[in-house]
Amino acid sequence: MNPGFYLRTLARESRGARGRLTFFALCLATGVAAVVAVAGLGNGLAGGVRSQARQLLAADVTVEGLHAVPKPVLEAAGRRVETGELLELVTVVSVPPAVAGDLAEAISAVPQAPPHGSAGDLAEAISAVPQAPPHGSAGDLAEAISDGADGRRQPDLANEPGHSRLVELKVVTGRYPFYGTLVLSPERTLSELLTAETCVVAPDLLHRLEVPRDGTISIGGARFRIGGVIVAEPDRIAGALSIGPRVFLSREGYARTGLGGFGSRVVHRVLFKLPEGAGPEAAQALAERLKKATGDSSAYRVQTYVDARPELRQGIRRVERFLSLVALLSLLIGGVGVSQSVRAWIASRLDAIAVLRCLGMRPREVFGLYLGQTGLLALAGSLAGAAAGLLLLVLVPRLYAGFLPQGWVTPWQPMAVLRGLGMGVGVALLFSLPPLASVRRVPPARVLRRDAEPLPPSRATLLFAGLLLAGGLVGFAALQARSLRIGGLFAAGLLAAAAVLGLSAFGLSKALGRVPRLSVAWPLRSGLSNTGRPGTGVIGSIVALGLGVLVVLALQLVHTHLADQLVADLPQGAPTAFFLDVQPDQWPGVLEVLRSEGASGVDSVPVVMARLSAINGKDVEVIAARQSGQRSENRRWALTREQRLTYLDKLPRDNKVVEGKLWADPRPEVSLEAEFAKNLGAKVGSMLTFDLQGVPLTLLVSSLRTVDWRTFGINFFFVVEPGVLEDAPQNRLAAARLPKAKEQRIQDLLAQRYPNITVIVIREVLERVVKVVQRMGIAVRTLGGFAVLTGIVILAGAVSAGTVRRGRDAALLKTLGVTRAGVAAVFAVEYALIGLVAGALGTLGGYAIAWLVVTEGFEMPWRSPLLPGAVSVAGAVALTVLAGLGASARALRRRPLEALREE
Amino acid sequence: MKPALELRGVVKRLPSGARTLTIVDGIDLSVAPGEFVAILGPSGSGKSTLLGLMAGLDRPTAGEVFLDGQPLHSMDEDALALLRRRSVGFVFQSFQLLQNLTALENVLLPAELARLPEPRSRAEELLAAVGLAERGHHYPSQLSGGEQQRVALARAFAPKPAILLADEPTGNLDSATGAAVLDLMAELRERGGTTLVLVTHDAELAGRAHRKVFLRDGRVERDERAG
Repeated sequence: MNPGFYLRTLARESRGARGRLTFFALCLATGVAAVVAVAGLGNGLAGGVRSQARQLLAADVTVEGLHAVPKPVLEAAGRRVETGELLELVTVVSVPPAVAGDLAEAISAVPQAPPHGSAGDLAEAISAVPQAPPHGSAGDLAEAISDGADGRRQPDLANEPGHSRLVELKVVTGRYPFYGTLVLSPERTLSELLTAETCVVAPDLLHRLEVPRDGTISIGGARFRIGGVIVAEPDRIAGALSIGPRVFLSREGYARTGLGGFGSRVVHRVLFKLPEGAGPEAAQALAERLKKATGDSSAYRVQTYVDARPELRQGIRRVERFLSLVALLSLLIGGVGVSQSVRAWIASRLDAIAVLRCLGMRPREVFGLYLGQTGLLALAGSLAGAAAGLLLLVLVPRLYAGFLPQGWVTPWQPMAVLRGLGMGVGVALLFSLPPLASVRRVPPARVLRRDAEPLPPSRATLLFAGLLLAGGLVGFAALQARSLRIGGLFAAGLLAAAAVLGLSAFGLSKALGRVPRLSVAWPLRSGLSNTGRPGTGVIGSIVALGLGVLVVLALQLVHTHLADQLVADLPQGAPTAFFLDVQPDQWPGVLEVLRSEGASGVDSVPVVMARLSAINGKDVEVIAARQSGQRSENRRWALTREQRLTYLDKLPRDNKVVEGKLWADPRPEVSLEAEFAKNLGAKVGSMLTFDLQGVPLTLLVSSLRTVDWRTFGINFFFVVEPGVLEDAPQNRLAAARLPKAKEQRIQDLLAQRYPNITVIVIREVLERVVKVVQRMGIAVRTLGGFAVLTGIVILAGAVSAGTVRRGRDAALLKTLGVTRAGVAAVFAVEYALIGLVAGALGTLGGYAIAWLVVTEGFEMPWRSPLLPGAVSVAGAVALTVLAGLGASARALRRRPLEALREE
Repeated sequence: MKPALELRGVVKRLPSGARTLTIVDGIDLSVAPGEFVAILGPSGSGKSTLLGLMAGLDRPTAGEVFLDGQPLHSMDEDALALLRRRSVGFVFQSFQLLQNLTALENVLLPAELARLPEPRSRAEELLAAVGLAERGHHYPSQLSGGEQQRVALARAFAPKPAILLADEPTGNLDSATGAAVLDLMAELRERGGTTLVLVTHDAELAGRAHRKVFLRDGRVERDERAG
């Protein structure tokens, strides 16, 4: 056929395709919409990271490490490069006692500055002073009160600590940021607002501490007036997992806090800005120079804006990969529907195909004609889906406002649309090939003998179609996951699940057909017999619907396990709070606070900070530099991190020695956590050399142990034999269970007395994690919903494909005197049975997969809540009945004679 | 002269459940170019199956079929299709028009497939010849049975086939309409000198043929030539 004739014939053959188009389009559109939305989201986020890479880094190049960046490194940058320095640490800020609550208000109402330092007079003054205190004296006032308040006169005010919060502190020297804008209120620069006495804070800190915008807070051992509030911070992603609100301090202010003491974990970061117009090559060159200047030490990380925020990009890619596969799943389920609709369509065109063959069309020409039509329909459906996907992209940033950076996700995503169209058409063609193949085998003799059915396809054809389908599946999955391995695993898992579902559906429907039904009410009898001899579409619909149910239920179960496990099920006896950087002389005081406030399960261990310098005499830096391959990142980290050592006589209960013996060798020993030892490349018998503030110490690895991290107890990778480290500089790490009602008070008290101690309440941290998990959960379940939706569309399609048969059934029943409601009841029973089979199989599968993921993937204990399963079965039945009755409405409406005359 | 159609020892067996039915049981038949042959017989005598074999729609279990001198029994599906599009026209009892094409498009299709130089004017001309010049834009469902069969006739003659095979062309029509359709068919055949093989069980209809072949149980019972 010449192309013109082909196209003309194609156009003519597509007539009367509207009904088919709707179903076909719906099948594909839901999946394509999901694919486009996810791809668009991913592209948007990745593009956002790329285009705002400089803002995210706030510089062209940065160097960071746990120690101050040495001078030679700074000098290596050259004179034309601007630098700025940052210190970052997590600490606790609190409201100084007397400024909290009512007093703060009282102060602002105080009409006259009180006489300095005299607390006794002050109390009187407060009620009588006729003049407002000059700005900036609030701090002094507070100090005066806490220093000398008379217990009898101001008992509550003096002893009641203000609120406290964990914050992320950033100390700025020089210009910051080089890129992006730090928007502050009042609208001035950071250096204008920061003095030795002031700080700039995130607005949520004000809210959480209940301090006014011009209030005072305590950081470390010093007080700071709030000089300004952060409106937008360029290198911080709103809503991302952060420990606490941001607080800015000047270098001078930081010196006043006394937080820089030994053992505190401070990240030192130097920002470098290249001259205007410098490109990525210049940034790379500078990075190379800086790396060399650090002596290629792995203690410092050099980053350019080109590879900025790898953790962020990696996180985005992971989420995108997961969501992409879920989206692909609904597209593939749609493929099942496409396959069914093509099968039904071809079945209805057999006569026409036979005529075309009679008129002299070759089999491959007929095949080409129908393949072309399928392609056109697929394109139309995919276009509709892509449009819906783009619409979702308009909605997503609104739904996740405050979670996604503004303007990153734009609805116009041509690459995402292209991907969606490609996958939509590809999946449609892939799934319609098997039914289309039968077109080639329609015998032209059918024009003479109506019963001449298409010959069954040859084994070679079936094998070829099967291989093509499997190959295509792997290809699409690999494309979505950007990994052949993951794509292959996904495809294999899906094929296995579909096969199990299909076989079970077949077996179950056969079993239902054998249920003795003569003694049951006739609608049920009729339903049983219809389900018992399934038409071609029924097994397919059950598989599709079952897969949909499986996906949604599994996602839901995994998600609830994650969320519940994180919040509610802290193991019995597990600590609820950790206390970091407790100096040895502070410990008795901390213990007293904990005891008097009712804390239980108090546990504390000494911590000695050290660096690993050699393993079996080999320099660790050399070993680290040699790492390559998949786990190299973990290994490098394990080798070069700041190591925390403790010394214990007996191991905690959640530790188990799996190799070697504890404290049995005359040489000084260390016990290693087994997994960590693997990353280090150390075994029992290895000699580890540590650098303790310049003092070398060599220890024998005498045992390996496993740790049950789920108990949340205090645990260390390195446990050293007692009698070795006692005299080394050290601090304490403590853990305790705090009564929930006292959590805040204990934090506040400690913040007031020992400002250097960082209290981390696990509940708060977990709650934040849970919030992120929940947001993810909504996204994931929305996508899972697409899968169910597609399953339902397919079912409705399968039902309406059987309209003729149904119409005849309905007509016959009506002729026999059954009312329309009666006929509907018969049909409803049939659909309910289909829904029951699909729902039950999908639910079982969902539990199985969720169990696997929860126990194997997350290694969490499995609880099997029955409610979600019951809901999913009931939901599947209800939706199936609704969709089925909806689709058979036409069959129900027809007059009996009309239907019978068509015989 | 080379026969337009020749069957030698043609056998067709079809499986029916566990048994094998012999539908056509060793038929030898030769049709001369331009000849009008009617094949008659009671239902189940193998008439329609024989027609399918003659057109290469079906393959014989044994024997040979030559159409226009070409061995249908040894040609593949593609070659058969190409032969049909050039040389064979069909008329069926149930019309077999393509429902999603208009009358004109139904006639146009085979002309286009055969790559005739002016398919459109050829189709219009044929529609006019069967008296449906004004109905070309109608779909089959908008036409009466007689009209549909006239469109089918026009379609059958569209590629200027050397042979026309008709299977009970008037079976679904009342006698007056049937007679009119038959007149038309005869006229078109005369005009193009087309060989015509007509399957029917209607003796009156067969009366117009040059030759009558009677089938019974898959065999030729009688072969009568008129005048």
